[in-house]
Amino acid sequence: MQFFNDMALLFTRYNSFFTEGIRNTLIIAAFSVLIGTVLGTLMAMMRMSRILPLRLLATAYIEFIRGTPLMVQLMFIFYGLPMIGVTFPEISFIPDFSRFAAGIVAMSINSCAYVAEIIRSGIQAVDSGQMEAARSIGYSHWQAMAYVVLPQAVRNILPALGNEFVTMIKESSIVSVIGIADLMFRTRDVIAVTYRTMASLAIVALIYFCMTFLGGRLIAWMERRMSHGKG
Amino acid sequence: MERDEFLQIRGLCKSFHGTEVLKNITTSFVRNEVVSIIGPSGGGKSTFLRCLNLLETPTAGSVIFDGVDICAKKKDINLHRQKMGMVFQQFNLFNNVNVLHNLIDAPIRIKKTPRDQALEKAVGLLERVGMAERAESYPYELSGGQKQRVAIVRALMMDPEVMLFDEPTSALDPEMIGEVLDVMKNLAEEGMTMIVVTHEMRFAREVSSRTIFLDGGRIEEDKPSHELFDHPESPRLVSFLNKVL
Ligand SMILES: Nc1ncnc2c1ncn2[C@@H]1O[C@H](COP(=O)(O)OP(=O)(O)OP(=O)(O)O)[C@@H](O)[C@H]1O
Ligand SMILES: [Mg+2]
Repeated sequence: MQFFNDMALLFTRYNSFFTEGIRNTLIIAAFSVLIGTVLGTLMAMMRMSRILPLRLLATAYIEFIRGTPLMVQLMFIFYGLPMIGVTFPEISFIPDFSRFAAGIVAMSINSCAYVAEIIRSGIQAVDSGQMEAARSIGYSHWQAMAYVVLPQAVRNILPALGNEFVTMIKESSIVSVIGIADLMFRTRDVIAVTYRTMASLAIVALIYFCMTFLGGRLIAWMERRMSHGKG
Repeated sequence: MERDEFLQIRGLCKSFHGTEVLKNITTSFVRNEVVSIIGPSGGGKSTFLRCLNLLETPTAGSVIFDGVDICAKKKDINLHRQKMGMVFQQFNLFNNVNVLHNLIDAPIRIKKTPRDQALEKAVGLLERVGMAERAESYPYELSGGQKQRVAIVRALMMDPEVMLFDEPTSALDPEMIGEVLDVMKNLAEEGMTMIVVTHEMRFAREVSSRTIFLDGGRIEEDKPSHELFDHPESPRLVSFLNKVL
């Protein structure tokens, strides 16, 4: 009982820490998935291209990113890039911009690889007969893609993108190691001040869980709506 | 009168990963004729049909359509495909749009047919295949036979010069085969040029003027239908007919 009281007390007293953390975590996850989706779409197109070098390049990128830890990628961007002279600028009205930029760039690079695979498998899940039928009528490859295949693929892709966002909410906790004030970082602040390690961790776990659980429900609801009455 | 061989196939070969599926096929089709292609499973019937509109790229040989070798590089295959309608065993209606949209999208988008004209045509054709009431239905709401009738109409919307059918009734429940065959029979009577891969021997015999027996990637026999069925020559055809009739 004492423990739950502690949690409640901590949460009310350090409320501003947690809300700032939540806000930053959501911002980082959202931007990463957004940028990752734009880049991932291009990457998926390269991956399915008829031009071999493009295909190889995309495949190598996707395999490499998915086969190495996000932590390492983050470190490379944050510590590595400045060493070769690439730095992110500071912007006066956004505090800590360069740090955030590094975090979002690393997460986007990571997300891009996963999104590319989401898009590719979403497209390939559409029955190949749809493309063939369109081609047999006289649609060009790109017309068939745009008007027949993609509208059907979107129904597979959108829910998976939602899941990617939910994953990113959790995975982004790693950016706290480069000093970005996300939810995890702010939780460590609370621990440092109060020494209430377990109670603080319990709170942050609960917050992450609420976000991912709600996100998951939302996606499931979206999925049901989209598949509604569409065989 | 001179025979108008508007579709000629010369020395057509097709291999998949080194396995020869079509071996040097040469034949031709004239306007208004209905040709059935029969033969055992794996004989290359689908592959042959799909080579005609280049859904499969032939390994060798040429397909000459309206005097143009459509296998040649730089030919606008999309243009030629508009003139060759194709009907698939699995219907392949566009799943995400309704019947009407299935029919009018290609004419409007590709042939730049005015929308009202395309609509009028779609409604007229749907009426002729007994599907007028289902214009607003989605494919998943239709039975197999209904889907296939719509698929035939979709191909007709482009005013094709020839219709290719790949086992159009093979995926249908027996009680629906008749409705699709009736539509095809009507088409044939109206003079549509049709090339039909089929397991329906009665259709081949009674509706098509000519039947090709394709076996092991070769044309084993190619004759007027009644002759082929009444006087089969090659032993392979005889044994095939014994099995299916
Ligand atoms: N895309 C492909 N890749 C590899 N092999 C193929 C491909 N398509 C067809 N084949 C092979 O080519 C041969 C002929 O196939 P095809 O589908 O043309 O036969 P079919 O006469 O239409 O048979 P069915 O009556 O079963 O439809 C078969 O051995 C098949 O396995
Ligand atoms: Mg076949």
